[in-house]
Amino acid sequence: MRRALWCTAAWACVVVARLGVVSAQTPMAPPLAPVSADQARAAFQNDVHKAAGLTCATCHDTAHGDQYVAPARTAIPKLCGTCHANAEYIKKFNPQLRVDQLARYVTSTHGKQNAKGETRVAVCSDCHGAHGILGVKDPRAPVYPTHVAETCGRCHSDPARMTPFNKPATPPAEWATSVHAKALLERGDVSAPTCSTCHGGHGATPPDVESVSLVCAQCHIREADLFRASSKKALFETISQPECVTCHSNHAIQHPQDAWVGFTDDTKCGKCHDESIPGADVIKTVRGDLDQLNAAITTAAARLDRAEEAGVSVDDGRAALREANDQRINARVMVHAFAAKPFTDVSTKGLQSAKLALADGDRALGEVRYRREGLAVASVFIFGFLVTLGIKIRRLDQARREPQKAKES
Amino acid sequence: MSALRDWIAERAPIAEIVEELEHKRVPQHRHDVFYYAGGVTLFFFVVQVVTGALLLMYYRPSAGEAYESVQFIMARVPFGWLIRSIHAWSANLMIGAAFVHLFSVLFLKSYRRPRELTWMSGVILLGLVLGFGFTGYLLPWNQLAFFATRVGTAIPSSTPVIGHGLMRLLRGGNDVTGGTLTRFFGVHVAILPGICTFLLAFHVLLVQRHGMSVPPAVAAASKASGRPVPSMPFLPDYMLRDLFGWTLAIGLVAALSAFLPWELGKKADLFAPAPAGIRPEWYFLWAFQTLKFVPARVLGLEGEFVASLAFGLGGAALFFLPLIDRNTETSRRIVTWLGAAALLYMIAMTALALRAGGGGPVP
Repeated sequence: MRRALWCTAAWACVVVARLGVVSAQTPMAPPLAPVSADQARAAFQNDVHKAAGLTCATCHDTAHGDQYVAPARTAIPKLCGTCHANAEYIKKFNPQLRVDQLARYVTSTHGKQNAKGETRVAVCSDCHGAHGILGVKDPRAPVYPTHVAETCGRCHSDPARMTPFNKPATPPAEWATSVHAKALLERGDVSAPTCSTCHGGHGATPPDVESVSLVCAQCHIREADLFRASSKKALFETISQPECVTCHSNHAIQHPQDAWVGFTDDTKCGKCHDESIPGADVIKTVRGDLDQLNAAITTAAARLDRAEEAGVSVDDGRAALREANDQRINARVMVHAFAAKPFTDVSTKGLQSAKLALADGDRALGEVRYRREGLAVASVFIFGFLVTLGIKIRRLDQARREPQKAKES
Repeated sequence: MSALRDWIAERAPIAEIVEELEHKRVPQHRHDVFYYAGGVTLFFFVVQVVTGALLLMYYRPSAGEAYESVQFIMARVPFGWLIRSIHAWSANLMIGAAFVHLFSVLFLKSYRRPRELTWMSGVILLGLVLGFGFTGYLLPWNQLAFFATRVGTAIPSSTPVIGHGLMRLLRGGNDVTGGTLTRFFGVHVAILPGICTFLLAFHVLLVQRHGMSVPPAVAAASKASGRPVPSMPFLPDYMLRDLFGWTLAIGLVAALSAFLPWELGKKADLFAPAPAGIRPEWYFLWAFQTLKFVPARVLGLEGEFVASLAFGLGGAALFFLPLIDRNTETSRRIVTWLGAAALLYMIAMTALALRAGGGGPVP
């Protein structure tokens, strides 16, 4: 308590420079670094609030004459909320802008701790910045999707900050290895989930066991529907398993593998089941069909590649292969039904499409053979014609030279 | 039969033409193999006309349909793949043969009096053939052709005053669009063939009128030895040799088409970023590479404009070569060295451009 009071006092009693603000840094201060008056003024030139006509005095107390005072950390959410929770006021600047940020913040873990006077938790300025605030759609903004994990990680990757709250400092690093991070950071897909997608932005809270599947279902709708309709739903509730997370984990989510289906130690099913369970045949059917479909698609793709390399168009085969691939994706989704029939209905369609693709590849390779045989036949005729021409030319030359030779001799 | 022959002979002087050809003789010497380059070029032109006419039956010259129609030709039309591949390969071989023909005529000094007009019409024909290549390149409306045409049609824009207008004239607008495709199609299948057919007839007529030129060195050796240059009758001896060359050419085109069918690539996407390695067809590579080496500004003018001006002056010098060359031993030697230097420069620049790599052209 004394420590918290000390921090609050330190933040409140800022070192004020002439015509500016300099904040004092506490031992456990959040990562927003204190700035000098000049730095604050320079940063504010690019601030969205500056563009909206706001000034230093809008946020800073000017009770000390020409010296601005930094607001207390615990007061920052409400200070920002003065405008951002006021629909009447904010719509003058941006009618699209939401005004529920403060309302959400007070429900968040950060907000609840802040309400208790805890200054080590994030407030608005920790994520958005203080003097150079950029619009949330600005790719340079710290809250732009590609930067969110880095912004959250400033605290949540730091064991010194997390340990006092009994929180692990590993989630950002785990997320960085996930398929979601690859989609967002490598492919630049800003719709891919980052911290705030699952935990919320202003209302950031860890989802509890019951709500994990609801969070995942924001994007993985079909998988969630199939899971809820399956026998696994009730079973997981009974044994308090966190649904999706049981097989897929939470932060370090990897691209699902067909090899996860099975009974060996490296499979997901095998962690809880062995071959003696009543539904073992379902697992075997699913794995067997997935392997068969994969093999059929690989063979068909190789056949089509060979035909295309030889210069024959295989558009129909490519279309069938796309369909087979779509059905494979569909089949992988149907795994979440945890039943054989709905899965095999889809995998069978995939196999049929793969067979069509293979057949078109065979047809195209037959066409390649036909072309080369045709060329061989044409070459025989061309060669024969060239030989005939050669003989004729030679005879004409001889006929022309003989009288000349006779004349010379 | 005889009556029919008489009926035709009365109305068309075919017998006279044949008789003239029977009396025509072609010199035989160690360089006479180059005489066939012109015939082979003409043969490829005929192949282009025939295959082009067949492609016209299915090709649709619009941005929305061009690519799909070529796809249809290659996948659905019986032997469509063969016709398109022959058209594409034959086009490239025709341009190659035309260059061989030009340089062989230059090195053998066959442009001398009285063959000045034959040479000049030949230089224009080479330009037209390159025009065929440039306009035909865009017609399948694929990604590489689209971006290469965008680069190619932007080059004239560096010309002072009229540059922007020239670019718009080529493109039919400010950018390469479906309008450019329609424009290029019209030029490729109507304007260029019309001019080309007329000039080709004129060129061949002059060749027949003046006969084959004997290189100065061969003529001098003959004069020194007192023996005439050996010769053979045009009909049937030379004609059969020509036929031999054409048969070889058709065999080569058939083999290339069967083993290396011309690819179509991806459909042009006007909003996609330009793919890496955009470059024109091989016969423009030397000029393309030159433009890369030219600084942005030369003597206060745009580098591209200066390079284009140099190309234009080079083309003009080539066109007026028979009038520039005074046909003395020294002038002939200068022409040989300049020709060799130009040829080496083109080969070196082409090699450098190919070495730089990239996506490669897809006509």
